[in-house]
Amino acid sequence: MSEEKKQQVSRRQFLNYTLMGVGGFMAAGLLISPVRMAIDPVLKAAGGGDLANVGLAVDDITSDPQRVDWSVDQVDGWYESQVNRSAWVYKNDSDEVIAFSPVCKHLGCVVSWEGSDQYPNEFFCPCHDGRYYKDGVNVPGTPPLAPLDEYEMEIKDGMLFLGDPKPHREA
Amino acid sequence: MKWRKDDLEKYVQAKEYIDTILVPLVPFQLTNDADLGKNAFQQEVITIFANEIEQELSGRVLLIPSYLYLKDGDKAIEVERLNQWISETKNQPFKHSILLTFDSSWKKHEKELVGDLLWIPGVQTGDIHSKEMQEMIRDQVSQLSEIVRSYW
Ligand code: FES
Repeated sequence: MSEEKKQQVSRRQFLNYTLMGVGGFMAAGLLISPVRMAIDPVLKAAGGGDLANVGLAVDDITSDPQRVDWSVDQVDGWYESQVNRSAWVYKNDSDEVIAFSPVCKHLGCVVSWEGSDQYPNEFFCPCHDGRYYKDGVNVPGTPPLAPLDEYEMEIKDGMLFLGDPKPHREA
Repeated sequence: MKWRKDDLEKYVQAKEYIDTILVPLVPFQLTNDADLGKNAFQQEVITIFANEIEQELSGRVLLIPSYLYLKDGDKAIEVERLNQWISETKNQPFKHSILLTFDSSWKKHEKELVGDLLWIPGVQTGDIHSKEMQEMIRDQVSQLSEIVRSYW
């Protein structure tokens, strides 16, 4: 039952497999003491900060948004785990690299570039037809009330490094 | 949204947007040694599928606790019990109930079920850590999300 509960509690269960293996994961579950639970909130918000190489050369970034997926180690609550992240990356008109978080600002579904044939040149959220212009700004009259988050970014040796999502520059 | 405190508190605030219930159907048996590994493996994989679909569509889908049943139990009884689960969800404004399973025996009872059965064939066994498995899962998840969206 507790196994079941954990799976409901955290999708990171899957990611834990890659990090600790099934056994380690279960053991970690057993080791959590009530004391640890009581102080848990203190443990939150660790991790992050470091930028990760997402495996995309800046030269390969075009003006068409492309999706990149990568994973980072993250300490979240009492688990240290790998989390999958993705971004929509492109170069804007001033040749600046832009990396948006695909998480819809309405209720968190994953948006896609040109995800709907009806709305070319926009990001589209399949859940409630949320839309965003190419610059990440939400289309008025659609459910999202804020523009897409932008990743912290750095370019090193021609490769793209991304960090945590931050509010859009215009938000 | 997942079955956890934060998400459910959000759910209560935004229920008009969340109209789809996702229920993994998970068989349990402890009789047949030869199948134990496979059964457990499928349970792991179905949980991953459910979590990943939820992740893609979290703003409209509520993933509820898995429905557990005896693998060789009386399906007629299970159908009735599962339908009771689904009618429980109708106390909230849910329009779609999607039942996710590897167990083909539900296929025969599909018509009696109040929800939409999403039966996934294959995935007998494998290494969950392997790159191929993860790619396969990613691939299937995007197709499954597509199917869920087709009900909307
Ligand atoms: S979650 Fe994207 S529009 Fe509602």
